[in-house]
Amino acid sequence: MASIAFLGRGGQGIVFAATITAETLFNLGYYVAQLQSYGAEVRGGSVLAHIVYDNKTIENPFIEQYDLAIVLHEAGLKRWIKHLEKSKTIIVDKDLVKTRMDNMVTAPIIENVAREKLSGSENIVAVGIAMQLLLGREAIAVAKSILEKRSSPEKNIKALELGTTIALNLGINMA
Amino acid sequence: MSMPIHPSRRYLREETLPTAFCPGCYNGIVMNALFQAFKEMGVEDLRDYVFVSGIGCSSWIPSPYIKADSIHTLHGRAIPVATGVKLSRPELNVVVIAGDGDLASIGGNHLLHAARRNMDLVVVMINNLVYGMTRGQLAPTTPRGMKTITTPYGNPENPFDVARLLGYTEANYVARWCVCNYIQLKNSFKEVFTRIKRGFRFIEVYAPCITYVVRREKKSPGEKLKELMRRCIPLKKYYSLLDNERGDKIPIGVYKAEDKPGFLENYRAYIRKAMEG
Amino acid sequence: MARRMLLSGNEAIVYGALDAGCRFYAGYPITPSSEIMHLMAKEMPRVGGVFIQAEDELAAINMVIGASWGGLKSMTATSGPGLSLMQEGIGYAVMTETPLVIVDVMRTGPATGQATKPAQGDLMQARWGRHGDQYLVVLAAQDPQEAYDLVIEAFNIAEELRTPVILLIDEFIGHGREVVVVGKDVVIKNRRLPPPSGEWMPFDSEDPRQASPMPLLGKGYYVLVTGSTHNEYGYRDVHSFETHYRLVKRIKEKIIGNLDKMPKPIVLGKPDDAETAIVCFGSVCRSAREAFYKLRERGFRMVFVRLRTLWPLDYDHLSRILDNVEAVIVPELSLGQLIHDVREAVDTSTRVIGVNKVGGGLPIYPSEIIKVVKEACRK
Repeated sequence: MASIAFLGRGGQGIVFAATITAETLFNLGYYVAQLQSYGAEVRGGSVLAHIVYDNKTIENPFIEQYDLAIVLHEAGLKRWIKHLEKSKTIIVDKDLVKTRMDNMVTAPIIENVAREKLSGSENIVAVGIAMQLLLGREAIAVAKSILEKRSSPEKNIKALELGTTIALNLGINMA
Repeated sequence: MSMPIHPSRRYLREETLPTAFCPGCYNGIVMNALFQAFKEMGVEDLRDYVFVSGIGCSSWIPSPYIKADSIHTLHGRAIPVATGVKLSRPELNVVVIAGDGDLASIGGNHLLHAARRNMDLVVVMINNLVYGMTRGQLAPTTPRGMKTITTPYGNPENPFDVARLLGYTEANYVARWCVCNYIQLKNSFKEVFTRIKRGFRFIEVYAPCITYVVRREKKSPGEKLKELMRRCIPLKKYYSLLDNERGDKIPIGVYKAEDKPGFLENYRAYIRKAMEG
Repeated sequence: MARRMLLSGNEAIVYGALDAGCRFYAGYPITPSSEIMHLMAKEMPRVGGVFIQAEDELAAINMVIGASWGGLKSMTATSGPGLSLMQEGIGYAVMTETPLVIVDVMRTGPATGQATKPAQGDLMQARWGRHGDQYLVVLAAQDPQEAYDLVIEAFNIAEELRTPVILLIDEFIGHGREVVVVGKDVVIKNRRLPPPSGEWMPFDSEDPRQASPMPLLGKGYYVLVTGSTHNEYGYRDVHSFETHYRLVKRIKEKIIGNLDKMPKPIVLGKPDDAETAIVCFGSVCRSAREAFYKLRERGFRMVFVRLRTLWPLDYDHLSRILDNVEAVIVPELSLGQLIHDVREAVDTSTRVIGVNKVGGGLPIYPSEIIKVVKEACRK
């Protein structure tokens, strides 16, 4: 069993990132459970969405740590600190998140998003990072085919590929 | 020699008679007008009709007295139940008979929304001016100044003019008659079952409670009818009068009579769209 | 044909209901149940059924009642505040023996509470939210797959027993997405109709466990339906002791007497050997089961009971399972409601300990249950 969490600010499309990730994993044949803490948070507060996947039925999606968490929001990090402290790897945006912890790796997500004129697509960049780190190219191809059927496919696929590049440059191997 | 059988009896559950209505209650006139309409329409029996009623004296007309399928619902909920019946069985004539308290107070929201939808129902609101079944409390139709058990010093509130209110909605047919307008009432019933057979059709019957209105005025049912005949005036004339000229007059007549498609026809078109898409 | 889909619990409810033959939906939007309504709005017209957005929950439940008498399998879905508004209508459905299904996607309360956050505090209002002596069926699912399975079961029980059935899920299940297998061998039950000839009564039955035949409107049966006390033919009798007592007692026995038709509890571990038990329902069972497995690995003698039918509750069965245990842990996303049932099922020497947590969208984690079990065993 493995798990991925996306943590961000309302409006960043965190739930959408989790949805695309869950569908990718589902299409790869995994059992998947996707949960999110959303609602009023969608209007400015922090949003956490996580996915648990496995080769067999998911016994319990209410997990207390993640294999991989991608964090794009300082306040959200504080709210879920207990989970994050116990998590294996946390990737944080080097500009958006100030806190540093031993299990953290910083990534230039927003910087690259701005340079590539992909603002608003940092959520899909995060999907690219997660899929590349955990499952590699095959997952990226499946995620692409899912994004093709959604709105703004060109921008999102560029963002996904940007995520792949960022992941490869991090120099960590999780798969 | 056998006794001739009253023509209304085929529409009644005879085993439930006599009715529990107070002596002189005007519900009888409404029932008679309805049955006369059915008879003139050539309706043999009421198996294609479903009557839905709420809580109150007038709601007892269909349940149990009318020999037809009838659903006696919770207080105020006749219209939503009737809506469910109509949408599930469009081929049936669904008729709501209930009082002013049931339809315009506790069920007021449903009345407005069914009219807005132009839901394919016939709704007969017997307006007895009070809550007759529970000792004559204030109703949303009680005239200003009238004494009831909950307005012992005279009603300080304004009443609803329900028919006029619904006249401004999408309802196909809205009319108000008084129990003294027997012929017009009967014709109105025929109208909503034969000529305008779709959409929301609303008939208000002005029928003061015999026990908590008429008897308190120390009048007999007959004397009250005579008084009502004097007070009823055509609605056009009534609304052209200034407020202070209206006095105790009661506006009667047809507020609107249209034959637009009702909810069901619009919904059928909607379903076709869903199935094509 | 069976299909594997990635569905939220709310979506699974819709597919389950349609597979069960539901052809009428009336509802009023309320978080976190609205997605049921959204998908129904899309799918119901495609199968030729009726979908209507009611003006409020009072209208919704009463439209469902009308449509059920019209002959369609009918349902609504709502959340706590909406269920509160529907209670009078549900009582009417009990009294008139009207089959229908209500799905309650539970959120925190009372009042508006935290509208988007899960909770399990509607258990008592689902069972007892109405005035008077009334019995209906309350089921609870733990995940989207079971939401699909149990909504079908809910329709079957509703139709077979002519009763309203409430299916409880919560926001975690409603919004959480998981793999759901839909369309596998679905068994469908339909209401009993009047016999073509001979004596029958729409509101009585010689066998108290069997529902009376339900006449369709518009077929010349001259059906009399009333929420007032009525005799076996539907005639109002608002005075006699015998008619009232017989009616409410029969409806009670019809529900209580059919426990064997309701989804059974899932029991893990050996009751005879156990020192400690966990009893739970709904989404919280998943953390509880993980806690159970972990504790058992560490040598704790445990039994795990997951209730799927919350009403009627098989107290005798629960008593037998819990007969030997010294402590029962009852995790709930509320300040404790199921715990009262557990207390009723055990003798006074058994310790009954709640793990209660509600608000903020937080689940009960396995570690929190493990901690309580360990403490209970130390004593």
